[in-house]
Amino acid sequence: MLVDWINEYLNSFREYGDLYWESTLETFAMVGYALAISTVIGLFLGVVLVVTRPNHIFSNPIVYPILNVVINILRSLPFIILLFAIIPLTKFIAGTTIGVKGALVPLVFYTAPYIARLMESALLEVDKGVIEAYQAMGATRTQIITRVLLKEARPGLILGITIATIGLIGATAMAGVVGAGGLGDVAIRFGYQRWEPDVMITCVILLIVIVQTVQSVGEMIARRLRKR
Amino acid sequence: MIELAHVSKVYRQKKRSIEAVKDASLHIRKGEIFGVIGFSGAGKSTLIRCINYLEKPTQGEVRINGVDLGSLKEAELRAVRRKIGMIFQNFHLLSSITVFENVAAPLRLVKAPRQDVNRKVRELLALVGLEDKELMYPSQLSGGQKQRVAIARALASDPEILLCDEATSALDPQTTDSILDLLLEINRKYNITIVLITHEMHVIKKICDRVAVMENGEIVEQGRVLDVFSNPQKPITQNFIKSIFDVQLPEQLLQKIRSDSVSGRLLQISFIGESASEPILANLATRFTLRPSILYGNITQIKDTTFGTLVVRVTGDDSSIEAGMKYLAEQGLRVEVIAHVGRLD
Repeated sequence: MLVDWINEYLNSFREYGDLYWESTLETFAMVGYALAISTVIGLFLGVVLVVTRPNHIFSNPIVYPILNVVINILRSLPFIILLFAIIPLTKFIAGTTIGVKGALVPLVFYTAPYIARLMESALLEVDKGVIEAYQAMGATRTQIITRVLLKEARPGLILGITIATIGLIGATAMAGVVGAGGLGDVAIRFGYQRWEPDVMITCVILLIVIVQTVQSVGEMIARRLRKR
Repeated sequence: MIELAHVSKVYRQKKRSIEAVKDASLHIRKGEIFGVIGFSGAGKSTLIRCINYLEKPTQGEVRINGVDLGSLKEAELRAVRRKIGMIFQNFHLLSSITVFENVAAPLRLVKAPRQDVNRKVRELLALVGLEDKELMYPSQLSGGQKQRVAIARALASDPEILLCDEATSALDPQTTDSILDLLLEINRKYNITIVLITHEMHVIKKICDRVAVMENGEIVEQGRVLDVFSNPQKPITQNFIKSIFDVQLPEQLLQKIRSDSVSGRLLQISFIGESASEPILANLATRFTLRPSILYGNITQIKDTTFGTLVVRVTGDDSSIEAGMKYLAEQGLRVEVIAHVGRLD
C-alpha cells in the first residue's frame, strides 16, 4: 500500500522533475532580483526613516511624516491587490506586465517598504548614547550613519532581511497569476487545478526546505556578527 | 580656557517648557579638575553637554579658548569637538568592534595614517592598563575596563579638555577609585583640563580642585573645593557635605550633655592642612583650666589637603571657655558651638 504510493509518487516526480527544477529557478530568480533591489531601496528608506525623525541627526519635519505615511499606505495592500493595482506603473517601468520581469516591479513595491520598516526597527535598537559619543568626537553625520548605525545594527539588519526574504518567497507564489512561474504557480496549476496531490506535496516540501535554509543561514550570519 | 557666560537651556515641549539650566556662568582654568555636583535632575548633564555643544544653549555663550562655539559652522564645531574628549556613565562603546578599534575610532574618523593609529592606540591602551585586551570585544570586559577603553578613546585625538558625564556612577567603590586615580594621572601627565559632573561627594573630594554646586538648573555655589567644603553656604551644599563629614550627634547623647550637672560647651573644631601642630587640647586644660573631652573625631583628605573635624565637650566657666575659643581661633582653627553643656536650650 505505502510502497505503491511511494512508487507512484516517484514516477510523478520523474515526470515533473524538469518542471520542479525550472520553477525553483524561477522562484530563485524572482526572489533574488526582487530582494537585491528591495534591500537597496528598503535599507535607504529605513535609514531615512530613522535619521529624519525628531531629535535625530537629519531631523526633518517634512520628509519623516510623509515617508512614514507613504510606507504605511504601501504596506496596507495585500500583494495580490498590489500586483493588479499598479499595472500601469509596472508597464511604464518594466515595459511589460507579465513574466518574471512583469512580476518584479510589484514584488519590489511590496517588499521594499516592508524591508524599510524592518531596517528602521533594527536601526532604532542602536543605543543613542553611542551616537552621542561619536558626535562628541567630531564625527560627521554621514560617518555616524556608516560607522555607528549601520555597523552596530548589522545583526538586526540581517535578521530583518531574512524575514523579508521569506515574505518575498510567499509573494512570488502569487506572481504565477501574471505568468511569472515559480513553485507557487506549479502548486496552483498542477497541484490544485489539475488535482495532482503529488505535485502539491513536492512544492510544499521544496518551499519548506528553502524557507528553513534561508532562516538558518540568516540566523547564523546574525549570530556571527553579534559580539555582545 | 572654558567660559560659560549666562548659559540657559530651555526644552520646549507641547504645552510647557522646562528650564534645565538657568543663567549658569563658569570659568574653568587650563589644567584644573573642575567638578559639578548636584542631585539627578539638577541640570548638570545638560550643562556639561553645553560645553561641547551637544546641547545648544538657548541663551548665553560658551567660549573655548576664547572662541564662541555659537559662531562656528558645523565643520568648525567638529574640529573643536575633536579637541574635547568625553566619557559617559554607560561608556557608549561600539559593541560590534574590538577594543583596539574603539580606541582608534577618533583617528579613523580623520583617516589618520595606519602607523600613527597603531602607535597611538597601543600607547593609550598601555596608559589605561589594557594592553592585553586589544582584540577583545567590549562585552567581554568589566565595567571598569570598559570605562578605561572609553578614556583611551577620548584621549586618542590628543584633547585639551576631557568631559566626564557621571563617569563613575555605574561603578563599584573600588573601581570608582581606580578610575579617579587614572583621571588624576591623566590630568597631571598631559595637563588636560577635566570637567566632571557627579552626584557623589567622594568624587569631588578625591580629585577636584574647584567645584560648582547645582540645584534646579542653577549654580548655587562655586569655588575651591576646600573653601566650599569647609564653609558651605547653601543648604544643598551642607547636605552634600554631611554625607562625608557627618557630625550629627545622636539626640540621646545631646540630651544627656544638655542636662549635665556641670556647665560648659560642646565645640566643633575644624582644621585644614597641618595647622594643628600644637597640643591644643592639652593647652586648653593647662592654660585655661578647662576640661576638654573628645566625643567625636574625623580626618579626611580633600585632594591633597587634610581636613579634620573634632567634637569636644569642654567644661569650665564661661570666661575661660571664651578665652580658650579665642586661642583656638588664633591657631587657625575654625570653632563652632554646637550645644551648651548643662543647659537645656
